[in-house]
Amino acid sequence: MIGDLLRPGVSSFTRSATIVAALAIVACRSDSPVQPPTTTSPSLTVFGQGAVSERFTGEVWVRGNIAYTTTWGNRLAPGNAVKIWDVTGNVPALVDSLIVPGASTLGDIQTSDDGTLLVVATEFAPGSIMIYSLANPLKPQLITRYNSALTNPGVHTAEVQRVNGTLYAFLSIDPGGGAPARLVIVDLTNPAAPNQVFTAVMGSPFVHDVFVRDGILITALWNQGITIWDIGGAGSGSVSNPVALGNVITVGGEAHNVWWFHNALTGEKRYVFVGEEGPGALGSRASGDIHVVDVTSFAAPREVAFYRLAGAGTHNFSVDESRGILYAAYYNGGVRAIDIRGDLSSCDAANRSPDGRCDLGRTGREIGHWREGGPPVYVWGVQLVGGRVYASDMLNGIWKLSEATLPPG
Amino acid sequence: VESWLRAGAVATAVLIPVDARSQSIVYGPARIEIGAQATGVVTRESPAIHGRDLTEGYLTQPMVMVMASLWSSALALTGALDFEGITLERGELNAGIHGEGYVDRRHPHTYLHELVVSLQNRFGDNGLSLALGKGFVPFGTDDPMARPFEKYPINHHLAQILERAVAVGAVRTRRVVLEAGLFNGDEPTSPGDVPNRKRYWDSWSSRVTLLPFPQGEIQGSYARVRSPENPTGGGADHRKQSASIRLEDAQHSGYGLLEWARTTNYVGSSRTFAFTSVLAETWARYGRASGALRYERTDRPDEERLADGFRTPLPATDLSIAGRSRWSILTARMAASFEPAKTLSLEPFAELAYIRVSPTLNPSAFDPAQFYGSDRIWSVSFGAKVALGMRHMRMGRYGVAAGGQRGMKPDGIDMRDMHDHGAGAATARTQQ
Repeated sequence: MIGDLLRPGVSSFTRSATIVAALAIVACRSDSPVQPPTTTSPSLTVFGQGAVSERFTGEVWVRGNIAYTTTWGNRLAPGNAVKIWDVTGNVPALVDSLIVPGASTLGDIQTSDDGTLLVVATEFAPGSIMIYSLANPLKPQLITRYNSALTNPGVHTAEVQRVNGTLYAFLSIDPGGGAPARLVIVDLTNPAAPNQVFTAVMGSPFVHDVFVRDGILITALWNQGITIWDIGGAGSGSVSNPVALGNVITVGGEAHNVWWFHNALTGEKRYVFVGEEGPGALGSRASGDIHVVDVTSFAAPREVAFYRLAGAGTHNFSVDESRGILYAAYYNGGVRAIDIRGDLSSCDAANRSPDGRCDLGRTGREIGHWREGGPPVYVWGVQLVGGRVYASDMLNGIWKLSEATLPPG
Repeated sequence: VESWLRAGAVATAVLIPVDARSQSIVYGPARIEIGAQATGVVTRESPAIHGRDLTEGYLTQPMVMVMASLWSSALALTGALDFEGITLERGELNAGIHGEGYVDRRHPHTYLHELVVSLQNRFGDNGLSLALGKGFVPFGTDDPMARPFEKYPINHHLAQILERAVAVGAVRTRRVVLEAGLFNGDEPTSPGDVPNRKRYWDSWSSRVTLLPFPQGEIQGSYARVRSPENPTGGGADHRKQSASIRLEDAQHSGYGLLEWARTTNYVGSSRTFAFTSVLAETWARYGRASGALRYERTDRPDEERLADGFRTPLPATDLSIAGRSRWSILTARMAASFEPAKTLSLEPFAELAYIRVSPTLNPSAFDPAQFYGSDRIWSVSFGAKVALGMRHMRMGRYGVAAGGQRGMKPDGIDMRDMHDHGAGAATARTQQ
């Protein structure tokens, strides 16, 4: 056909028109439509919503009856605000807000375990952490802003944890300015003068989050999976000299966040849950599974199960360790509650993926969800406190939900 | 490195002889052509961002170009230094454009814009060539800098791949040109950036050009670009397609381009998002006056922005986008050409653009009407281009792909006439 087009008798107009038509046909192809996620699990009850419409909402952290939410990106206003909510009643009530100067977006937020400090991660340059005193939890007072050349590209998350009695912040630094992603650990013993005790390039190409417990650090290293480090809980390692114990690349990579589950019922510490953050379009699309890694041997962790919600992708977790329920923020899929009791690596052949992992969705372990139908949501974070689930919804603000009910047995 | 490049670029510009009598200097079998150009422009956009109008002035596209050849281009060197890193650091208002950490402002190009050595051998109408250096990848259409408008089409990163370490092989027959190239996938991250050595040859492209009739050119190309937006790798890969028809009359007084381009993002083997562009532009000259019209409809990924609303994180911090918007832009241009001296040309111009933008995903973390204050934007620009010595020619092809005969620029089409027809046309005829 192309040869015919090139024959001398064919006019320039005919040639051009034919090619234009061909181009138009090719141009009409578009993305595949995304089907909204569906489920058969019971719905979590909504107690109330604290609406935020001028900014996109980021992470949530709740301590007692006070909730703090960050903001992200750029809506009618930039994501430079921390919202402070009184969540005593069913409907979260906005009582105050902080504006972080020079921040284009805020991501992570967390209080210290003793409730004296509030730490907020800021992006992008100048990346920093804002450290506030919570002497009055409704009126945080800035103690200091910690920034260094290493944190300058942007602090994506700041995990605040105590190791052998000392409070640290584990900062996941964005790649930028030609520098790769890295982890920076600062000692918060004197919150007015944080002291860097460790740094190393980490992640391929990102490090988004870490998990710290019992002197063990677990880093989520995107396409390098997760690495388990001894920082004082398993041998010769320390916070200033972490020793790598083991690594596993979870299926598909994109390892974003981690929760090491300590089962309060059995004392078992066998499973690490890893959130995969796949590509998405904020507000409407997301992708990525929850991966279950057996860490019985730190030296040889292995993925044994996964949970997939078609048409949606997971983000941050909160685990009810006393009851064995994992709550996962699921962006456009809302919140999912998953029963994580028992042996997650055991299932019959019909419920295994071709690579041998158990599919927790197929085995009926989803025991609750929010929500299906209605106006869209895009849930960034979730936290279980005092028998209530708090969800930060990028599009709508903060929601207060009921916890899930475990099935008998 | 950036400081040295900047100093070298300025030094080279100073060495250009302002009173150059001719565009070509011949030493035995060697011929050298040198040229320089710059455009002063004032642009007003309404609204530009957050409901605000902005009026700004720039010295844009300041360049020094050199072409040197031996034995009728059997061995040739093509070079271009670009000073936008000095004059355009904040970027140039260009509603809808994005790339390399800039959004709604066009980013400055790298100081060493192009430096390519090519070897070619001809057998009658047929020929073979090999080119190596930093420059254009064999993909898509001509660089916007070598086309009629001052304001770039916003599909620049969909329709061209440039400023890479490239190795290009080309085969030419009378009516067909085949090119294939290897290059580094990573885009520049600043004007002083150089291709990442660890990324050399991790990406490839090919282009087929048909020349079915003397004033027509049809091209189709395909490229696989590894992690262009994350210099260390690990970001989304791009699979790119382009097709176009280009027409230009024998007198170089009229030109038209119809272009389609698509970039599809992939993470591993999973397809994520596609961004499509359709563009049509035409230009005509009437004596000293010329006019041009361009229509473009292009999809753009919308990314998180920095505190400076015209910048985005580089690289992005994950694989997600904030949204995707569709831009429809109609641009008109009027210009006049003057030659106050033999090798000096001056082209005052005016450009007017009407822009409509809408989200293609719903809900989205980027609502254009909310962000800009309107879903309709006007842009008007006034300015003048000054050129000295060798005229700006078509950019993006090397060796036998660049001309039908040795020592000749692209077959039957000489973009040097696009802006200043007088001396450029005379030279083109002399070469033929």
